Amino acid sequence: MSQEKANLKENEMTREGFDPHILGFFCHWCCYAAADSAGVSRYQYPPNVRVIRVMCTGRIDVRFVLEAFRCGADGVFTGG
Amino acid sequence: MGECHYQSGNYEAMVVAETCRQTLKDIGVEPERLSLDWASAAEAPRFVELITGYVKRIKGMGALGTGEGEEAKPVIDRRLKAAVRAASARKPRTSLGTLSKGLHKGGDYTPEAIEAGVAKKVLPAIRQQRITEEVLILLKEEGAMDEGHLAEATGASGDEIQKILEGLSRRKKISQDEAGWVLMTA
Repeated sequence: MSQEKANLKENEMTREGFDPHILGFFCHWCCYAAADSAGVSRYQYPPNVRVIRVMCTGRIDVRFVLEAFRCGADGVFTGG
Repeated sequence: MGECHYQSGNYEAMVVAETCRQTLKDIGVEPERLSLDWASAAEAPRFVELITGYVKRIKGMGALGTGEGEEAKPVIDRRLKAAVRAASARKPRTSLGTLSKGLHKGGDYTPEAIEAGVAKKVLPAIRQQRITEEVLILLKEEGAMDEGHLAEATGASGDEIQKILEGLSRRKKISQDEAGWVLMTA
């Protein structure tokens, strides 16, 4: 029982300490501008996202997303 | 929606995203790892909300390959490599283009219509190409392998793997010897 609890706690700790790599594809006209204005207005948000600006979310290809995961991303966030 | 600077860019993105999700699911990755959300330039607070919620969800899932129902990391890596090649191949790309064009013409971009269209027209093409590429990767990296092992490693059904192996041997990419299927050199 206590072993189980310790395991659970360890699990929680690793989850808590887990810093995911997330790749963001942001639309130049929408999300990128929103992210910019969020920064200017000093809103706090998680620093896990590395951003790639695209001129349009329609530019995103199936290849981009799969390649991102292949390169070790834990998540891909596309914002339009 | 309908606010896109390029008029229909975000509708096109929905079709691509659905294709990605179904492909990810097919190769044993949690499809929720990909998110597609909308925040206009004036919605900074909404953007912060979206990104915070999304990072939290990914933290809950854990690293790639440790989420619920996901394949192990080496399997995912191999399948992603094959899937990237599949997504670059002519046949799957043509089928995605045809579907996008059809949806654009019909103007029906409900999630159900997109999901059904991708499942029917695009995913089969990607899956077949992905398994083909994966067979080639497996034979190159691990040497000769029999049909059963190839089916198990790629997650293909008996019928599927048979058809793919036949196709590859017809194109003189692979051949059969006593140890199983092997890559043909030169």
